[in-house]
Amino acid sequence: MIVTKKALPRRTFLRGAGVAMALPLLDAMIPSFSSGAAISPVRRLGFVYIPMGCNWFEFFPKEVGNITKLSPTLSTLTPVMDQVTVISNLELKNSYSPGNHVTSNSGFLSAARAKMTEGADYELATTVDQIAAKQLGKETRLPSLELAMDLTTPIGACDGGMSCVYGNSLSWSSPTTPLPAEANPRVVFERLFGDGGSSADQLAALREDGSLIDFVNEDIAHVQRKLGAGDRTKLSQYLDTVRELERRIQKAEQQMATSAMPDLTRPLGVPSEYGEHAKLMFDLQVLAMQADITRVITFQLAREASTRTYPEVGVTEAHHPTSHHGNDPGKLAQLAKINAFHVSLFAYYMERLKATRDGDGSLLDHSMILLGSGMGNPDVHNHVNLPIVLAGGGAGKLKGGRHIKYNEPVPLANLHLTLLDKVGIHQDKFADSRGRVDELLAV
Amino acid sequence: MLRSSARSISLRLTVLVIAGGFVTLSAQQPQAASPQHALINQYCVGCHNAKLKTGGLALDTANVEDTSQSPEVWEKVVRKVRARYMPPAGMPRPDEKAYQSLVSYLETSLDQSNAAHPNPGRTAALRRLTRTEYQNAIRDLLGLQVDVTQLLPADDSSFGFDNITVGELSPTLLERYVAASRKISRLAIGGPVRSPNGDTILIPPDLTQEEHFDELPFGTRGGTAVPYIFPQDAQYEIALKLTRDRNEHIEGLAVPTDVELMLDGERVHLFTVKPANVIVGIRNANSIPSDDLVDKDLHIRIPVKAGTHTLGVAFPKKDPSLLLETERQPGQAHFNMYRHPRIHPALYSIVVIGPYDATGAGDTLSRQRIFVCHPANPSEEASCAKQILSNFARRAYRRPVTDTDLQIPLKLYQDARTAGGFEAGIERGLRALLVSPEFLFRVEQDPANIAPNTPYRLTDLELASRLSFFLWSSIPDDELLDLAITGKLKEPAVLEKQVRRMLRDARSETLVNNFADQWLYLRNLDAIIPDAREFPDYDDNLRKAMRRETELFVESIMREDRNVLDLLSANYTFLNERLAKHYGVPNVYDSYFRRVTFDANSPRGGLLGQGSILTVSSYADRTSPVIRGKWILTNIVGLPPPPPPPNVPPLKDNGSTGKVLTMRERMAAHRAVQPCAGCHSLMDPVGFSLENYDAVGRWRNAEEDAPIDASGNLPDGVKFAGVTGLRHALLSRPELFVTTLTEKLMTYGLGRGLESYDAAAVRRIVRDAGSSDYRFSSVILGIVNSTPFQMRRSQ
Repeated sequence: MIVTKKALPRRTFLRGAGVAMALPLLDAMIPSFSSGAAISPVRRLGFVYIPMGCNWFEFFPKEVGNITKLSPTLSTLTPVMDQVTVISNLELKNSYSPGNHVTSNSGFLSAARAKMTEGADYELATTVDQIAAKQLGKETRLPSLELAMDLTTPIGACDGGMSCVYGNSLSWSSPTTPLPAEANPRVVFERLFGDGGSSADQLAALREDGSLIDFVNEDIAHVQRKLGAGDRTKLSQYLDTVRELERRIQKAEQQMATSAMPDLTRPLGVPSEYGEHAKLMFDLQVLAMQADITRVITFQLAREASTRTYPEVGVTEAHHPTSHHGNDPGKLAQLAKINAFHVSLFAYYMERLKATRDGDGSLLDHSMILLGSGMGNPDVHNHVNLPIVLAGGGAGKLKGGRHIKYNEPVPLANLHLTLLDKVGIHQDKFADSRGRVDELLAV
Repeated sequence: MLRSSARSISLRLTVLVIAGGFVTLSAQQPQAASPQHALINQYCVGCHNAKLKTGGLALDTANVEDTSQSPEVWEKVVRKVRARYMPPAGMPRPDEKAYQSLVSYLETSLDQSNAAHPNPGRTAALRRLTRTEYQNAIRDLLGLQVDVTQLLPADDSSFGFDNITVGELSPTLLERYVAASRKISRLAIGGPVRSPNGDTILIPPDLTQEEHFDELPFGTRGGTAVPYIFPQDAQYEIALKLTRDRNEHIEGLAVPTDVELMLDGERVHLFTVKPANVIVGIRNANSIPSDDLVDKDLHIRIPVKAGTHTLGVAFPKKDPSLLLETERQPGQAHFNMYRHPRIHPALYSIVVIGPYDATGAGDTLSRQRIFVCHPANPSEEASCAKQILSNFARRAYRRPVTDTDLQIPLKLYQDARTAGGFEAGIERGLRALLVSPEFLFRVEQDPANIAPNTPYRLTDLELASRLSFFLWSSIPDDELLDLAITGKLKEPAVLEKQVRRMLRDARSETLVNNFADQWLYLRNLDAIIPDAREFPDYDDNLRKAMRRETELFVESIMREDRNVLDLLSANYTFLNERLAKHYGVPNVYDSYFRRVTFDANSPRGGLLGQGSILTVSSYADRTSPVIRGKWILTNIVGLPPPPPPPNVPPLKDNGSTGKVLTMRERMAAHRAVQPCAGCHSLMDPVGFSLENYDAVGRWRNAEEDAPIDASGNLPDGVKFAGVTGLRHALLSRPELFVTTLTEKLMTYGLGRGLESYDAAAVRRIVRDAGSSDYRFSSVILGIVNSTPFQMRRSQ
């Protein structure tokens, strides 16, 4: 985990002209563990969401068990195939709802049923990434990082009767706390590395933030005294938020003491091309993991019901109507192109993780990254046979090059329960789980 | 839009009364069938009975004689019947007179029971400012127009608006508020910075820069004009970059080109860029050195006074013959190397780095707002600090402040004062107030010792905030706050005067760029990128022009206090040359917008003929009658279709015949099978009537050589053709549209979804507005004077 100027040459971050700019005055902070403290292989969790399922025929490999070849959609993952497991016939029973789009998103990490409401009384469940973050995040400044690609919030594009929050947030830190996702690379960068200044400056800024947080704490208590019992509950949740922020600031102060000051380049803003934007977001995820700022990241590659087009791979019809393929071969081919494009961006992420040293191996060796969708066949909006790919070495606890295929549908929650096992969190049950993915436990 | 609610007090109370002694009486009612009962029996209960429960509705067991027993049921019924949704077109229907008498009976009866048991509803006690409200509050507090999208995450939308689900304070959000407060307080005070900062202003890549932009001097083309906040009196480095093609060559750079840099409209410097290789004819990737060096000298260090200034960059047009050159090009859009390349160089970005060699904080609007006193000597500092912070806190907290409120901010002031001087202390104190939950949240609290579930009147202070956030999306100003503090705001005459003043104030533009932007989905325009092959002429210029047209149009209805039905029926709109060409409207030149009046029956009058709305309701490569139909039913008619049910069956493959199907034929499949038909037979025919507009709102008479069939109908089943027919059909029941607009405004104004018990208030607003020609102000005043707006229900 030695992260220094040398370990992070500027060029690795500066992808393509115009995406990032180098300014010495924009020095940023990367904490490192170069002090020699023995860190056991860090287990990191990542989740990447693709909306609107897939073209089944092109997604799943033909072979089952140990495989020699990936499917057409997954072919860009070939260089990391030995660390890739495809799982078919997982389902999300709780995602069936009117419209089914936003609940594909909300079910992906929760496997729970979203309360049908458009009001402020929305309710889901704590998502698997957040359960993991409560454990894995103890040691890091940010327990988790939530990212997305869509800069605008859709109006009128969410399923009727359901709050858009179900379609916007993948991660929920409690059944009533959706975490907002950030899509602007520059904003993400500043969250990770601050907005400039020397480490002494940043340390001073952190202390100042700390005193401010104390005030917020007092102020909430002040408001709390004025309100009725029901509203006080909400305020005590705010107090939890304040405590979490205090912890983050303390953590940052500790890390500052051992930090190096690399000459990182800060992204300018949002690249205009989707692929460039996505790669930059993946770069930031690699950086966040490499610098051990967080160990849990969720990333929504596009929203459910997105009408984005992908002219860069020859798809000029919008994703959503394309996904209603009606088994038309032409539309299925277009859908497969979108799926393959998303997978190729994920493959870029995998290769970056593989190329980044981490202790005695690579970041990929010490990570588990789940790629998938909460929808199966988008033409009928179902939630069976979800496209699911698990990548990474899991710190020696995952074996790749496989296709696990269930004969009968199995809850996606079984996989989530298994992932939690792998990071050392043992629960009896997760949402509607009926067991574990035994094939993954074997390693 | 109305939801039934188990929390309805009126329902509970009524049930109680009935259980108390009238049960036998109401059970006997069906025998003496009233006309409305007979009507329900004849036309409704065939489907809506306890056994079938079609649409979840059983009317045989509900008592139409006494609607107060189940008002949420009858509100649903009257809504469908008023729009002639039910019985479905094609089924036996009552005649118009019977329809009217049923509607009238139901409305009167529901209004009476509502009046007997008013239920104002309960907006959440704690509501976070949306990021738009936060941005406006910062503007009004500090005179700073910050770009909040760089500071805070977007808010989620519910019931069509982003100010509904705003109860949470996640760690991510609090962290962002803390960071935002640092940046904002620093900018506002202009305190010394630890190191210069860099900001990059990126120009949208699909902005065509061949023509003159309204906000830049005549005789120039392209470029941009943007407000930028300079934190101190200091030197700033300003660097420009030009757009490049995929070979990293500067686009359109054939001859030496001038680039002008301006500050507040005054020339700062004129740069000249020269092509790397001026030998004509061999300009290709192999023979030309990199363009890296060509625009490397486009930077200059200049002194700038602290405050907000407009940075401008434009390309002077040297040669009138260049105009001719553009006319040879078939299209308007020039930004894509392969399809429609730039003819002249274009601006890619402006980078501002600074401050360097700062000489002071200057005299900015923010500092004038903050420093209401200036300590002449250290002994005055403490009292001045208190005055400054208490003045700021009063406006930020939207209420009088107490010593307790200021205790910690003053302590933080003192800490920073000791370390860095008076202004550093004030900066810290302001920061504290900017992260205070009392600033970030709107708090509405029940009166002490009130019984549960009891309607009560809001305090004047709460009313002042409701008003300012409704009409301005921001905090109250001093006049409003003073009236609230003295308790005068609730007086009807005072209140009306304030509403009229607030509507006249420039800040009410948020009813356009915050309310209407969401109501009409204009916000989605930014995310829509039409297929460049189908629509090569679509660029950022057109996107912005479309949005501007609709905003100016809605604003004209508001500012001129017109009949809100003009939103559908007006014979005018606002166009610039670009949009006029897009619409095929002649004789409109240059980039500024002006009012253009049309003949009666022109396809371009009113919202339904506007490119913005036609584009946000289309896909990238084609129109979607489904989306357009749904848009109209949701936003104009007020009866949004439900989402598709879980597990829809796949449509039969219809591509096998080899015949190219028209849109109408493809859509027919939806309406042929259940459960799709139920809703698609409502949505699709509405959308079909707009088929004369393509996916970016251009008029067309044919698609793929087949003439357009724009016949359609609303769910009442009456057939019509084209946008003119649709407009007439919508205007034939004006109360439907006015009701929808009122409900949308109320949802936005109250910050909650409407419930069945709000329907009576909505009807009253619409009725009263009707007697004032549905003037915009009459709808707004109706809402402000309504029970749900002025009252609240205790917990």
